[in-house]
Amino acid sequence: MPGGSVHFALRCSAMVAGCCSLLLAALPAQGADSPSDWLERMATAVQTINYEGTVIRVSGDRAEALKVVHTVSDGVVREKLVAQEGNGLEIIRNGNEVHCILPGRKSVLIEEWNDQSTLFSTLPTSQVSFGSEYDVRIVKEDRVAGRKALKLAIKPHDDYRYEHRLWLDAETGFPLQTQVIGTAGQALEQVKFADITLGREIHASAFMPSYSTEDFRWYSPPRRQVTTVVDSEWSSDDLPLGFRIASSQQEQMPGSQELVTHLLYTDGLANVSVFIAEVTDDKVAARSQVGASNTFSTVRGGRRITAVGEVPAVTVEQIANSMRQR
Amino acid sequence: MNEAIRMQISAFTDGELPDNEKELLLRRLSQDAEMRRQVAEYLAIGRAMRGEKPVSGIDSLRDRIADEIGAIDSETSKDSSTDSAAAASSDARVTRPLAGFAIAATVALVAIFGLRQVSEEAGQAGELPQAADIEAGFPTQPEADNVLDQYRLLHDAEAADSSMRTRFTSIEIRGDIADENEVDGAAEEDAVPADPDRELMPDTE
Repeated sequence: MPGGSVHFALRCSAMVAGCCSLLLAALPAQGADSPSDWLERMATAVQTINYEGTVIRVSGDRAEALKVVHTVSDGVVREKLVAQEGNGLEIIRNGNEVHCILPGRKSVLIEEWNDQSTLFSTLPTSQVSFGSEYDVRIVKEDRVAGRKALKLAIKPHDDYRYEHRLWLDAETGFPLQTQVIGTAGQALEQVKFADITLGREIHASAFMPSYSTEDFRWYSPPRRQVTTVVDSEWSSDDLPLGFRIASSQQEQMPGSQELVTHLLYTDGLANVSVFIAEVTDDKVAARSQVGASNTFSTVRGGRRITAVGEVPAVTVEQIANSMRQR
Repeated sequence: MNEAIRMQISAFTDGELPDNEKELLLRRLSQDAEMRRQVAEYLAIGRAMRGEKPVSGIDSLRDRIADEIGAIDSETSKDSSTDSAAAASSDARVTRPLAGFAIAATVALVAIFGLRQVSEEAGQAGELPQAADIEAGFPTQPEADNVLDQYRLLHDAEAADSSMRTRFTSIEIRGDIADENEVDGAAEEDAVPADPDRELMPDTE
């Protein structure tokens, strides 16, 4: 592909934009569907449609390209993601079993992931309180990866959560592009297909590792040691509106004997985990950010409280500071 | 960002922008994070389409933007020369990550990954280990040894079924660990390898 391909593609897309009115007229009767219908369609598409293509992920100032192939057969997901630069990481999934191949390390890490897709989790539409914490609306018709798309915006009513923008394939509802928008209106994270093929049968050979792993070492991380706790003695007395407890459990930290209490709060769209652990140092409080994920750590009642979630910094800070022991 | 600037960035990443326009764009890039993100995205697309061929002139671009940022930093430091020693010490702590972040924007242009975002100390007694400080080699400690990364992975696992989020955090953490090149042989002996004969995918077809 010549060096000017991106520019050429953009010039083409500018010409395409000039024909936008024609495209709008050509859209089928989906215009009658509500945003919620589209979200349901997206959830179904993510779980059922085969796809392959190139994904560009942008997080902060960092951008990376991944090749992805994904198929679902009899409810079993098979997937392969290959980082196109850097360490050449490959992630190969068969059902819940995931192999992370690290060619530079000659290692394979085996994990178990319960979600249906590495790129997209399904949207729990029935749990999202649209009209209360969020509004959802169709913004416009657009094009992504050469396909007609509908742009949806899920806007929060306050600064405790992020806005989400989705570009859904007009034909299938598949998410061709997603953005997480910060409270200042900046894109914190973006996943966008540069090219994609939907609904085509994918040969099993596409899911084979690109490397011979014959002389690789294989590692299996310790399984999560979780004990479900029905009623934790810890709770928040100042949760942001709409957040509620989703799970409460104790679990052992990987590689140690330390038990931590793990509470998960959700508003149906955003999640915040709170970890309550022993205080092992004299640190008072700290916050950090990775992409759209914020963490805040503090000490309450002689325990280290750490809140982690894909929410603004103010949200994890408020939740961590509001934790009380009964 | 308007369409004209978008096209200008596109032409720039393809090496088709005239020199006089390039000068202007470089200046804007040094001051506009959104624009840098856009450039990084176009370069990633370009790399994917070209099959990882290096982008012509990207090294000089990196140097130029670093120079621009350096010049801005110098001017800023001149203006603040009357600060007290304590303030200077505090500034150093704050400025370093910010400058690092700005430089990292140029680093992203050449696709050297590993940047983790800014961290900010909130308490006076220090801070928890940051993601950027991961030292563990993967084979020696398959689970990330950074407590925040462990929390992120556990959160990822717990929240995966009920949110808009993706597994990218897990991928990032695994990828960063994979970037570590040193293997601690002694610790490696402590690791428990899985069954090497197991196969995820059948060999058929």
